[in-house]
Amino acid sequence: MNLKISALEYVQEVQNGNISAEDFVSKTLDQIQAVDDKLHAFLSVNEKAIEQAKIIDKKIKSGDKVGACFGMPISIKDNMCIKDNITTCASKMLEHFVAPYDATVITKLKQQDAVFIGKANLDEFAMGLSTEFSAFGPSKNPWNTEYVPGGSSGGSAVSVSAFECVASLGSDTGGSVRNPASFCSVVGYKPTYGLISRYGLISYANSIEQIGPLTRTVKDSAFMLNLISGLDPNDNTTIDNKNENYLSDIDSGIEGKKIGIITEMIGDGIDPSVLSATKDAISKLESLGAICEEISIDMIKYSVAAYYTITATEAGSNLARYDNLRYGYEFPVEGYEFNSYISKARQKFGPEVTRRMIIGGFVPSAGHAGKYFLKAMKVKSKLTKEINEAFKKFDLLIAPTVPILPFKIGEKINDPVSLFLVDINTVTANLTGKPAISIPYAISNGLPIGIQLFADSNQDKLLLQAAYALEQTVKLPEVPI
Amino acid sequence: MVTEDEIAHVSKLMKIDVDDHTEYVDKVQSMINYFDILDSAGVESEEISMQEISISNLRKDEYIPFDGKLIEKLNNYHGTYVRAPKMS
Repeated sequence: MNLKISALEYVQEVQNGNISAEDFVSKTLDQIQAVDDKLHAFLSVNEKAIEQAKIIDKKIKSGDKVGACFGMPISIKDNMCIKDNITTCASKMLEHFVAPYDATVITKLKQQDAVFIGKANLDEFAMGLSTEFSAFGPSKNPWNTEYVPGGSSGGSAVSVSAFECVASLGSDTGGSVRNPASFCSVVGYKPTYGLISRYGLISYANSIEQIGPLTRTVKDSAFMLNLISGLDPNDNTTIDNKNENYLSDIDSGIEGKKIGIITEMIGDGIDPSVLSATKDAISKLESLGAICEEISIDMIKYSVAAYYTITATEAGSNLARYDNLRYGYEFPVEGYEFNSYISKARQKFGPEVTRRMIIGGFVPSAGHAGKYFLKAMKVKSKLTKEINEAFKKFDLLIAPTVPILPFKIGEKINDPVSLFLVDINTVTANLTGKPAISIPYAISNGLPIGIQLFADSNQDKLLLQAAYALEQTVKLPEVPI
Repeated sequence: MVTEDEIAHVSKLMKIDVDDHTEYVDKVQSMINYFDILDSAGVESEEISMQEISISNLRKDEYIPFDGKLIEKLNNYHGTYVRAPKMS
């Protein structure tokens, strides 16, 4: 059985009776068994997956109505709640936490007969971009296991890349879907802010984070978006997309579209092979009829500092709920005073989360807020204005997803500022709420390079059309696993 | 420049016991020093824009029954009460 098919091919094959959900899920579990000791994409695997696939096969055979996923095995980043399943956020603080309800995206995918094959590894509480900060050990890049897979949705990207599932859901706060997608050569989609409900996503930085799909193809991302987007009364920030069909007309092409090349994202520090791939992608888009011109967006220089200031502040607030009294690990309360118990219990947070909480306490505090937090919010506002101005002139913007190639595990872990700068090309979409996508584009020295396209808010359909057009120009080697 | 004392103070406010403050000082210092770049952004006169949601678009504040017994999932639930650390 071929596990390397896309989501749409899987649906077609099951619908045509060429494969059963049970067989496919069973073979997927075999693949996990075979490769995951080495790759560590998963924190837990669904032991009932085959049973659930059998139920879907029965529905198909008896002619009952079947959801659009037809038992497709999907991995879920372990910061989204699946009822009665352990949801750890890759943190020792939540090692045994069992979610009491489903996230909205999970409810929607259950209605479409998806099978959740397992919970994917991540940087603890999604704070990181290499998956090295998982409390349960790093995931490894299937293209070269000495290298990071990116993050924080590293487990999701690895699971799609290594055929341990057909598609995955990740969350993107500053590039956490697009960065690992780029590093593992899969498609990663960060939608317009509000397009997908965050209800049941364990909060890190609510004002900018979004759930997004990681898939093998652009069409698969559009397919997933069709299933999980739309208004949700449980998340007041969701927007009404009028049941847009992101798959229809995806092959419309980009003839006549104007694309801005963001100069700040291809400047100092960019790896020559990434620059060369970006230039190549631009010339391919031009050959497809797009008009590409450079554009400078001044505030991008300050975007990473603004991003970390804002997210640390929100994280400091969001993580205050982990007092170990309501949910947490076994740690007896006897002999402790209330505040000292909480402080002691919170020692289970890993070093990166602890650092960000300290920063999250520092930057908005009296005496420092004006210098850091308020300025960061002003940079966010000005950046949004500049990007909105850019979209008056251009339909789309382009840049490499990450300015460097994947780096070795451990190479940057002790240098937080050098890790920060890996985010320079991705945080803009989050700070401004715009949709962005990473498309696998090239391989250099055996390591993947992704190209990123951005569109204006609610232009997700146009973005997917452009990404599909670019994807059609690319032929990449198979992942060497 | 952030001092070790400031980090100790913020850690206490954030309710995090940090055994060795020096372990965090250098990294937190380098991160916050990096944020100083914001000083040159020239955004002093910029208005902060926020996403607004009108009250009419909020969901109704209504009771929705929950079929699980959440209290039983608490770490220190003892049948009729939840054990918490003593208040000083």
